[in-house]
Amino acid sequence: MKMLIGFEVHQQLSTGRKMYCDCPTNYQEVPPNTNICPICTGMPGSKPLPPNERAVDAAIEIALMLGCEIIADRIIYIQRKHYDYPDLPSGYQRTSLPIGLNGELQGVRIREVHLEEDPGQYDPTLGTVDFNRSGVPLVEIVTEPDMHSPEEARKFLRQLVRLLEYSGKVRPEAGGAMRTDTNISLEGGGRVEVKNINSVKGAYRAIKFEIMRQRAKLERGEAVTRETRAYLESQKITMPMRLKELEEDYRYIPDPDIFPLVIDQARIRRIKASMVEAPHLREQRLVKQYGIGPSVANVIASERELANLFEVVAREVDPKFVATWFRTKLKKILNYMKLRAEDVKFVPEQLIDLLKMIKSDEITPEQGELVLRELVKRPGDPHELLLQLGLVRVGRTELQAAVAEAIRTNPEVVKDYLAGKQEALHFLVGKVMQLTNMRADPREIIKLLRAELGREG
Amino acid sequence: MDEVTRGKLEAIRQGELSVVENVQRMLERIAKLNPKINAFIELNPDALAQAEAVERRLRRGEKVGKLAGLTVGVKSNINVLGLRATCASKTLEDYIATYDAEVIKRVRAAGGIIIGMTNMDEFACGSSGETSAFGATDNPAAPGHIPGGSSSGSAAAIAAGMCDLCLGSDTGGSIRNPASHCGVVGVKPTYGLVPRQGLIDLAMSLDQIGPFAPDVYGAALLLEVIAGFNPNECVMLDAKGVSYADELQTDLKGMRVGISPKFRELTDPKIMEVIDSAIKKLQDLGAEIVEVELPHLEKGLPAYYLIMSVEFFSATRKFDGRKYGKRIEDVCGDEVLRRILRGRHISRKEYRGKYYQRALQVRTIIREELMTALEKVDVIVGPTVPKLPHKMGEKISVSAMYAYDYLTIPANLAGICGGVVKAGEVDGIPVGLQVQGKVLGEEEVFRVLRSYEAVA
Repeated sequence: MKMLIGFEVHQQLSTGRKMYCDCPTNYQEVPPNTNICPICTGMPGSKPLPPNERAVDAAIEIALMLGCEIIADRIIYIQRKHYDYPDLPSGYQRTSLPIGLNGELQGVRIREVHLEEDPGQYDPTLGTVDFNRSGVPLVEIVTEPDMHSPEEARKFLRQLVRLLEYSGKVRPEAGGAMRTDTNISLEGGGRVEVKNINSVKGAYRAIKFEIMRQRAKLERGEAVTRETRAYLESQKITMPMRLKELEEDYRYIPDPDIFPLVIDQARIRRIKASMVEAPHLREQRLVKQYGIGPSVANVIASERELANLFEVVAREVDPKFVATWFRTKLKKILNYMKLRAEDVKFVPEQLIDLLKMIKSDEITPEQGELVLRELVKRPGDPHELLLQLGLVRVGRTELQAAVAEAIRTNPEVVKDYLAGKQEALHFLVGKVMQLTNMRADPREIIKLLRAELGREG
Repeated sequence: MDEVTRGKLEAIRQGELSVVENVQRMLERIAKLNPKINAFIELNPDALAQAEAVERRLRRGEKVGKLAGLTVGVKSNINVLGLRATCASKTLEDYIATYDAEVIKRVRAAGGIIIGMTNMDEFACGSSGETSAFGATDNPAAPGHIPGGSSSGSAAAIAAGMCDLCLGSDTGGSIRNPASHCGVVGVKPTYGLVPRQGLIDLAMSLDQIGPFAPDVYGAALLLEVIAGFNPNECVMLDAKGVSYADELQTDLKGMRVGISPKFRELTDPKIMEVIDSAIKKLQDLGAEIVEVELPHLEKGLPAYYLIMSVEFFSATRKFDGRKYGKRIEDVCGDEVLRRILRGRHISRKEYRGKYYQRALQVRTIIREELMTALEKVDVIVGPTVPKLPHKMGEKISVSAMYAYDYLTIPANLAGICGGVVKAGEVDGIPVGLQVQGKVLGEEEVFRVLRSYEAVA
């Protein structure tokens, strides 16, 4: 069954100050109603300051990363969107007309990007409102309904999250900082909008539920009417919203207290000159420039700092070799230690040295992995780490002695091996590794064992 | 009355009148007259203490500002820290301002003493001073008649000599209309000249704070204190260091003064008689009288009432009953409710093209018309209000009430400045001469006002 899915994604911008006043934006870190002033609490007679330029720049940069055309040299009104809710101190929310139009991300068309401001936080149980969040700048990204399955929608959202993280202009996703509305329609049914979604996972579940619900209706021969529903995270279902909320007319008017925005070409040029390469574009470039596979490129481009590190290291060491190490070893270690690439403390040169040592067979890949793990934990010169870990390779004589020792002390195993059991050889290799404190290359041990035991194969 | 402010300032500087004495006398006068006039709805309990502070600075020979020692009444829609900014409405009857409006900061810095909060039409919605939740204001210059509005208390306070200067606000004539009816000087500055930060909104794109004074000098002085760019506000003109009071001239040689036949069409002939003789005096002072075309002037009225209502609807959404105790629609008077409901109705999505957009188009036409006229002349003069004020308590229709605003609204729609000085009287009721100037043309407006005042 054909289906169309689209999104409206809201994300807080990581500016230090609010959109229309000088209050700080760290609303989660301070007691309720401390980051407030007459402006962000809408006191009678208060007037907004001129819009936060950093927030406007951030929205432009994000729109550019999404391939949008920026509305240049034309008036962009900041409008008042009226609705009645306890968290909204003035009874309206300020929302700009589009800053960027007609973008694209991984086959999904971006209809528009614009600026909004966050309301306060209402606690319906206590009946209290905390206005610390009121006026924190938001960027809203609206897509066309270009996704056709929950999986595709989830993939897109992940891509979008990665892009926003890459930009460095949004608040790290925490405490409901990413909010999305989604619209879903099945062939033969009306368009249903679902609000109140707080995460990628939530979006995926809401869409799955909606498809199931709408499909069941259509199969029963009932109509799916156009409506707005709310996603209930706790029950993982969607519910119709109250009628009042549906009939709402926001009565948009341009805010008479704010000059409209006008973005000139020079500003766009300045932002373009210093902006971050979008991750999906970078991924494509990595494939082309370094001749690595798309799936490896995808892993490397998953984090901006990881890709940055890769590109520095790949200048000095064979990129394909580096790519393999990034995907199979470095990423694994980081994931295990729950670290992001931006958290690593070692300098690229240390990693370059290590990979060169491995590449030139100075140390074995196994040793290399041990050193890499150590490097992430305790940054240092890889040679020294190798010494500290006692991993300097054993000499030929010592290794031969260890091989002889393993053969001598395990006659039964030797017998098995000679009888044709390949696994027996692996056991002996393990013994030798133990005897040499892991300081030998398993490949060399196998060679020596085979020579000693006089059997090929 | 023509130079009272200058005389008062001089007396204070010379030590002939102490600041404390000035405040005391004003408080006594308020105590005596206010029960009848009802110009003030709250007094500043710290006025005397503030007077003492200014007095000390004066005596020590420290630098004091331009308003040193003068008492200033403030319209109740302007935030003065610690005093109630009620907008003369039950909606905000318990709202005590938590901050000073930018103009108040400037008045204080100039040594002015806030003496109290003046009465007004509720939320500045009215042209008679009768819609206040704290009772109507009488007209000291024509007792028993309305003082005009919405800055009714500010105009009446000046007319009754209850304070030296007053602040009002003008959205469609709310300074000029009561100035005319009360026979005092009032100026609506160019939109964007005076900070609005701290002024409780009627219609954001039209509101301007401006001065009331018994004389042109006082109005010029107060305006130069409150005018000028405020970086903490968006919609402001880049005007800095304006000065009007020291340059007041008393001749009009070389000035081109515009008049329009449209004014006569819309105005009571008895008022026009007074205005005609005022224009004659301007001519005698050396002005060249030039006729200008303002063909669409009266269409400003319906456009204004649509735009203002939509903006007022938006501005009042914060009075939802959660933060200030009372939901505006539940406690406000008829006129406020009428404007909110009108604004709510015509801002509906389906009516956008029909009302609001068209009103904005008319606004553009009127602005262009006035701009074109003001290219030919320095100022446009004429009547302020097309009819005489009705008797207090007399019931008049909504449209008759709105009709008071025909001649003042265009300046707000165009964003230009306008001032009023008493031109004469009809049956003992003051009639004001309105002088409209270009964007930032306050200097020319003051020149005409002062020249007329000097010979009137």
